[in-house]
Amino acid sequence: MKLLSLFSAFAALLALITASAAWASAGARGEVNLTSIATFVTFVAVTLVITYWAARRTKTAKDFYAAGGGITGFQNGLAIAGDYMSAASFLGIAGLVYTSGFDGLIYAIGFLVGWPIVLLLIAEPLRNLGKYTFADVASFRLQQKPIRILAASGSLVTVIFYLIAQMVGAGKLIELLFDMRYEWAVVIVGVLMTLYVTFGGMLATTWVQLIKAVLLLSGATLMAVLVLAQFGFSMETLFVEATQVHAKGTAIMAPGTLVSDPISAISLGMALMFGTAGLPHILMRFFTVRDAVQARRSVFYATGFIGYFYILTFIIGFGAIVLLLKNPDYFTNGVLSGGANMAAIHLSHALGGDMLLGFISAVAFATILAVVSGLTLAGSSAISHDLYATLILKDKRDEQKEIRASRIATIILGIVAVLLGIVFENQNVAFMVGLAFCVAASANFPILLLSMYWRRLTTRGAVIGGALGLLTAVVLVFIGPTVWVDAFGFKEAIFPYKYPAIFSISVAFIGIWVFSLLDNSATAKQEQAAFDAQFVRSQTGIGAAEASDH
Amino acid sequence: MSANESLTLDDLQRLPEYIALTRARHRILWPLASVTILAYFALILAIAFFPQALGEPIGKGVTSLGVVLGLGIILFCLVITGIYVRYANKVLEPLAQAIRTKAGDK
Repeated sequence: MKLLSLFSAFAALLALITASAAWASAGARGEVNLTSIATFVTFVAVTLVITYWAARRTKTAKDFYAAGGGITGFQNGLAIAGDYMSAASFLGIAGLVYTSGFDGLIYAIGFLVGWPIVLLLIAEPLRNLGKYTFADVASFRLQQKPIRILAASGSLVTVIFYLIAQMVGAGKLIELLFDMRYEWAVVIVGVLMTLYVTFGGMLATTWVQLIKAVLLLSGATLMAVLVLAQFGFSMETLFVEATQVHAKGTAIMAPGTLVSDPISAISLGMALMFGTAGLPHILMRFFTVRDAVQARRSVFYATGFIGYFYILTFIIGFGAIVLLLKNPDYFTNGVLSGGANMAAIHLSHALGGDMLLGFISAVAFATILAVVSGLTLAGSSAISHDLYATLILKDKRDEQKEIRASRIATIILGIVAVLLGIVFENQNVAFMVGLAFCVAASANFPILLLSMYWRRLTTRGAVIGGALGLLTAVVLVFIGPTVWVDAFGFKEAIFPYKYPAIFSISVAFIGIWVFSLLDNSATAKQEQAAFDAQFVRSQTGIGAAEASDH
Repeated sequence: MSANESLTLDDLQRLPEYIALTRARHRILWPLASVTILAYFALILAIAFFPQALGEPIGKGVTSLGVVLGLGIILFCLVITGIYVRYANKVLEPLAQAIRTKAGDK
């Protein structure tokens, strides 16, 4: 096969570049860290072999988008956890706990409470109604063209903001850990993720997630156990020592400055809770399992793994307070070297020397790679399956053309991600994950939820309300304090709240509701009449897309 | 829709199993979803309005009420998903399977 020999050539070249770049680079502490290089090179080699294997099995659209539909509930649960536990949440939450204690837990909880909602309201009907993307479900009884354009826009905006945050994070992290040039780091991440997705599709992406999830969970478990071992496995002793060495004292056991007013508190809560149920790369994972039974099983496992992981990061953050604050080696000019986000990385050195530092660094890199691959696949699927197939192929559906479009879209997204990663190098991108969740909660989630449960929903209502939600979310973030003041440098924000979700979600729901009720067109009547058949299918699974056996 | 020729949509909706399925699902779904949303926003509002109270230690040590509630809600999410999956596998799935069989699907 031409494709496979092309892949082998690329992979060999890349393995050489990565290996030499890694060998040439020095560790964070000024010397070559063999563990880190060995772990990382092994990860890249194994994932490339898997991609080669997956490429040979990826023939149909179902293989490419949904790994053939034969992933088990347990595997998918672990893969969802892999998609969801980003390096940003590992390093970011541990860093937030290190700086302000309890506040880190607020984020951790917010990222977790979306999962019961996904299970109860979304997972099963999504699996029963859709094929490859959540737009399949949203457009099930509505007009294909406008709904798919809107859903694809929501997906792409979410994916792009999420990608920028991950790319910049990856660049910074690798620059610091391996002493590699920032641009090099971003290019390596971009090339690897493009290889995984273009050649191996969902099958390779799933296995990259599985390996990464196992690595991250074992690494974090090891760190948490080593921390607790120093305090006789008593959380109370750990907390006592932390409050003694931290400048804020016992205040780290209480809510701090993360959420100060009720509007921001509720808004952040809504974005995190409902945003999870609107993330395209997460929703897409439900099409990789056989049926609704496996879909709900995946959420149960995912919730378990993710919740367990956040408890670990909380312990790791407190461990960092006690073990790092007492040791001046980890500080430059009085601040933690590399910033608070490096707390978990420095802690790994404090706990297990260069060996653990090397392992955890490589795990953090693998984590970023896995997350960006999942995002890229979701983005390219929105382009090929929702835009290209509906707008250009129309009635002349052709699977092979669609897969080719998806591969081209992946390469374009890879290039865009690398360029944006370089452009945003010195910008504060922390708000971008928040914005991605806000858009997912304000555009994708309302359309998806109402299309599944509300009979009166019409195309006009969904399109106007969904677009209003998307625009409101983006505009309010940009004129709010995080971008207008922190990034653009204006004195005062036009919109006073950091988290606009409470407004943008309301705008979306009210917009969809009002414009659906006002819609008296003939197509609206047909769309409402089609609800019963859709609902029966969503509840029973009659006619649901089936798994193909290889 | 791909319902069997012998069963129309109306027939499906009138099946006792279908009526039982939708009822059983509503009985479990809305209580669990409301409890999750209420528990979470109660904590969020407590964080906004009573940060001091959440910082109060429980017992004699420094472990605060907020930390206990925060870690508690993580376990709570797992319990909620566990209850639903158990119920769905035991009660909902046999009903859905019966409907699919009658409709000649799978």
